Amino acid sequence: MENIQFGKRPKNPLRKRVRRDLLRDWKRYLMIFAMLVVIIGFVSGMYVANNSMMTSLDGNAAKFRREDGHFELSRIAEPEMIEANASGKKADMVKIFRARAYTEAEPEIQQAVQEAVEEQVREQVRAAITEQVTAAVDAQIEAAGQKMPEEMRQEMLDTSLQTAMDENYEKAVKDALKEAWDSAEYKDALAEATDKAHAEIDKEIDKEYTKLAERFELDQTFDAVPVNVYELFYKNADEHISGDAEFAGSIRVYNQRNEINLYDLLSGRAPENDREIIIDRMHADNAGVRIGDTVRADGAEFEVVGLASFTDYITLFESNTDTMFDALTFDVGMVTEEGFERISTSVHANYAFSYVHPPADLYEEKTSSDHFLKALITQTAVSEKEMEIKDYVPAYANHAITFAEEDLGSDLAMSGVILYVMIAVLAFIFAVNISSTLEKEASFIGTLRASGFTKGELLRYYMSAPLLIVTIASIVGNVLGYTVFKNIAVGMYYQSYSLPTYETLWTPEAFLRTTIVPFLLMLLINFVVILRMLRLSPLKFLRHDLKKTRRKKAVRLPRWSFFRRFRLRVFLQNIPNYLMLFVGISFVMLLLSLVVGLPSTLSYYQETMPGMMFAKEQVILTDYKDADDAVIRTETDGAEPFSMGALEYRTEKFSEEISVYGVAENSRYISLSPQNQPDDMWISTAFSNKYHLHTGDSFVLHEKYENKQYTWNVAGVYDYDAALSVFMSNERFNAVFERDADAFSGYLSDETITDIPEKQIVKRITSDDMMKIAKQLDHSFGSYIVYFQYVCVIIAAIILYLLTKIIIEKNERPISMIKILGYEDGEIARLYLLTTAVVVIVTELIAMALGFYAMKLMWEIMLQTLGGYFAFIMKPDGFVKEFALVTAAYLVITVFDFIRIRRIPKVLALKNTE
Amino acid sequence: MSEAERKFLEVHGLKKSFGSGDTKQDVLKGLDFTVSKGEFCVLLGPSGSGKSTLLNILGGIDSADEGEILINGDKLEDMNEKSLTRYRRKHLGYVFQSYNLIPNLNVKENIETGAYLSDQPLDIDELLKILGLFEHRYKLPNQLSGGQQQRVSIGRAIVKNPDILLCDEPTGALDYTTSKEILQLIEEVNQKYGNTVIMVTHNEAIKRMADHVIKLRDGKIRHDDRITDKITAAELEW
Repeated sequence: MENIQFGKRPKNPLRKRVRRDLLRDWKRYLMIFAMLVVIIGFVSGMYVANNSMMTSLDGNAAKFRREDGHFELSRIAEPEMIEANASGKKADMVKIFRARAYTEAEPEIQQAVQEAVEEQVREQVRAAITEQVTAAVDAQIEAAGQKMPEEMRQEMLDTSLQTAMDENYEKAVKDALKEAWDSAEYKDALAEATDKAHAEIDKEIDKEYTKLAERFELDQTFDAVPVNVYELFYKNADEHISGDAEFAGSIRVYNQRNEINLYDLLSGRAPENDREIIIDRMHADNAGVRIGDTVRADGAEFEVVGLASFTDYITLFESNTDTMFDALTFDVGMVTEEGFERISTSVHANYAFSYVHPPADLYEEKTSSDHFLKALITQTAVSEKEMEIKDYVPAYANHAITFAEEDLGSDLAMSGVILYVMIAVLAFIFAVNISSTLEKEASFIGTLRASGFTKGELLRYYMSAPLLIVTIASIVGNVLGYTVFKNIAVGMYYQSYSLPTYETLWTPEAFLRTTIVPFLLMLLINFVVILRMLRLSPLKFLRHDLKKTRRKKAVRLPRWSFFRRFRLRVFLQNIPNYLMLFVGISFVMLLLSLVVGLPSTLSYYQETMPGMMFAKEQVILTDYKDADDAVIRTETDGAEPFSMGALEYRTEKFSEEISVYGVAENSRYISLSPQNQPDDMWISTAFSNKYHLHTGDSFVLHEKYENKQYTWNVAGVYDYDAALSVFMSNERFNAVFERDADAFSGYLSDETITDIPEKQIVKRITSDDMMKIAKQLDHSFGSYIVYFQYVCVIIAAIILYLLTKIIIEKNERPISMIKILGYEDGEIARLYLLTTAVVVIVTELIAMALGFYAMKLMWEIMLQTLGGYFAFIMKPDGFVKEFALVTAAYLVITVFDFIRIRRIPKVLALKNTE
Repeated sequence: MSEAERKFLEVHGLKKSFGSGDTKQDVLKGLDFTVSKGEFCVLLGPSGSGKSTLLNILGGIDSADEGEILINGDKLEDMNEKSLTRYRRKHLGYVFQSYNLIPNLNVKENIETGAYLSDQPLDIDELLKILGLFEHRYKLPNQLSGGQQQRVSIGRAIVKNPDILLCDEPTGALDYTTSKEILQLIEEVNQKYGNTVIMVTHNEAIKRMADHVIKLRDGKIRHDDRITDKITAAELEW
């Protein structure tokens, strides 16, 4: 040992190998890296865009002084009324109504009593005068001593009485009355009459109030909810835009906003004179309106001087009961006060309010809103001049305010799930890849283990590549997330919503979810797979004996042809890889189901909606009788009266509006078989499908603003997919809703009804109205769908590339050997590639079905929180498209695989097993 | 030589079988022998005689069914997996018939994988010179001949200066000249660094360069001889 010279212990040389491993197999790693970068980048972009947007939306509530709610009255309220509303105090309806009724009744009572007294006095005076005159006349006759015939006496008496009456009666009456008014009797009589009248009034008011109080739970006592009330008047008008004669939309024009619900001006400036307007940016984009263009609101022309995001119209919902927003044909604008005057349509007396004491949380906000509504109902009810509440929408329930934010939230959850599933799929691909590498490198792993390398050292080494890749991919992904992908996500949102400007924010959650979680997932999955293999003894590695359970004998195969048996062997050998392939393709198919199924569903509805309508037109009238109390009739061929109302179906999460129809007997449009029981109702297929209601089930519908509910049974399901509806006979409808026996809401007709004056028509519902949802969804997602279809194909191609590569690499030596035996490349391809092709095709078919059903389920879950219903429809050509896309990806990869097989050298089989 | 050095490796009653029931096959049927420190010991025997199994058990990568092995006083069968790994790391060097080099590490780096396991490895450059690989140190294994690759594998085994060098048919895949070169190298290492060498071979000729020859047949020791008139590897002929 004397000659020995010791050196320094080197660093672990396996570390150098990590870099070389990555370089040697750069194509595989690049694919995985690229996929990780794209997914992490996209999700990180979504998170950043979402968070920045949400923060900006939250901040904007204060910045742009967003309302806490608004209400619309049937007319413009007097200042005292507004003041009373602002107090948030419940009006003492009984007291006010009584006082008012008492005051109203007082003159009547007085008059009645006075009339009675006067009559009595007059009679008394007449009697007194008559008595006096009779006595005087008789005395005069007696004094004359003559016997006067009775006729003469009577004549004398009449003359004297007439004279006395003429001279004294009125004066005497007046004097007597004067005395009577001061008399106790009169006062008693008056008091008695007043008491009686008051008792009657009280009885009547109590009866009325009890009814109202029950409906709105007005007897509840609560603290006043003081609010600031702001005028937020608007006018609805038809919208026409210059340069697009075809365009037909509607615009809601607001008067100048200075105090509440301000706006973020995204370009241009605010209107300065009566000819200028600012409109919603989203709608302007959709309708192709630019600054400088002219829009006409019901005849009045305005120049667009600015594009804005109104803080109470982040999503363009025309009405809060609409199923879907409509940024295509519905617009919101704002003009100056003078400009507002120029629009001739009627003013909507809309008022916004904000709480004086802002509620701390949503629960408190709901309570405040509830209490304020009650106060508002009572205050409106006690209004001196007739007034009604037309609409009441608290901010938390206002879709125009909340929808975008909720959608942002659910998108986030969705992309999080996609991220984790994708990372898991990639981690498994990595793990499968590593276990095939471990098999390939079994000899020197065995040697290293035999020489004293610990399992931990090898584990760390084999984990390095995946962890390095995921770390770098996370960094690059996040950088791209904050730059490129954030803009894509923001672009998507700006294409659907009227969002204000935002500021990109550092989002720790995005970093955590797109860096730490993928890293941990990769770590965990690889750790388990690698450690499982490294548990095997070094000797097993040296002997290339890496199966935990070794089959004693090969599986016996049927007496098939050699090629078929060979292919089956290839299949049996690669079951784990094929399982991975199955998981990967299933995942891609699920995504494809969404991106192929959504347009398929939307186009199906757009195509079939006109056919689905029970009549081409539903005309809703203001009332079934005109001003002269005559029933409004039409001569239109086939027109048929019907009734329509709306109730609510409530679930824990959501209240859904249900249309209720009253249908004429033997209707040509909606044919229902007669209902046996009064509570048996027909429901539409859409209602049945969405809430899983079937014949015989009972269901409860609620009145929206009243504490009233109806429990009905499903008599049958009527084939109608366009809306969630309940059908009954018109007679029953009138009975249920306590209407006149002959009442109806309007007409169903296949012909356009032209003989009813437009002023008596509230609206005409046509298939265009029903297609709003489909059109808006189509617009919001349409352009991205194609892009996502390509992304799916790329993901499919990468997964297929990675897995088929492993399968071929595993078989390099046998392939090389059969090449030596004389097999041609084509034959080898038939042996190795055909097996994979069959697996891919079978997997595609199964995954397609799985994806379809999974998507159907997800669709239903999604619709639970969205109004309306339409089933998820995949047309046959959709399935063909899915199949074609993945198969196309596979064919491209097959070409690579074929080239790879051709490149395997014959000498490989003869080389030492290194 | 002290008693401890003389009984550096002790094997008592070693038995090993594979399979069970009808297919049970006794590979080692009770072996007893000792190997002294620094000895060049050759395990000789035809295929299936159990020599590789014996070597694997001595190397702690396989276990015996019965019997005991003491190396420098440490009982192998008392060690758990972790201590066995530590034992191999500290005391053993392995050379196989197939060289099992890491294909994308160069010659020097492959040797470094061995050096990394020792707190006090040999100087790698000096070793490369002894191995005749200094000028090839940046080449990858596939750029080397079989003999050169086996030199690298020997280098990797001895760089950590192990107490015992276990060689499993190190010349099995090599031609005559190269085989002799490898044997000369192992001899040189044994003499220069004083490692105990246990070499499995079926080549009868090699026994002449050994200090100690154990001949196995059917799982039993047929001969256990100390050679007094050993010749150098260079003088071997077969």
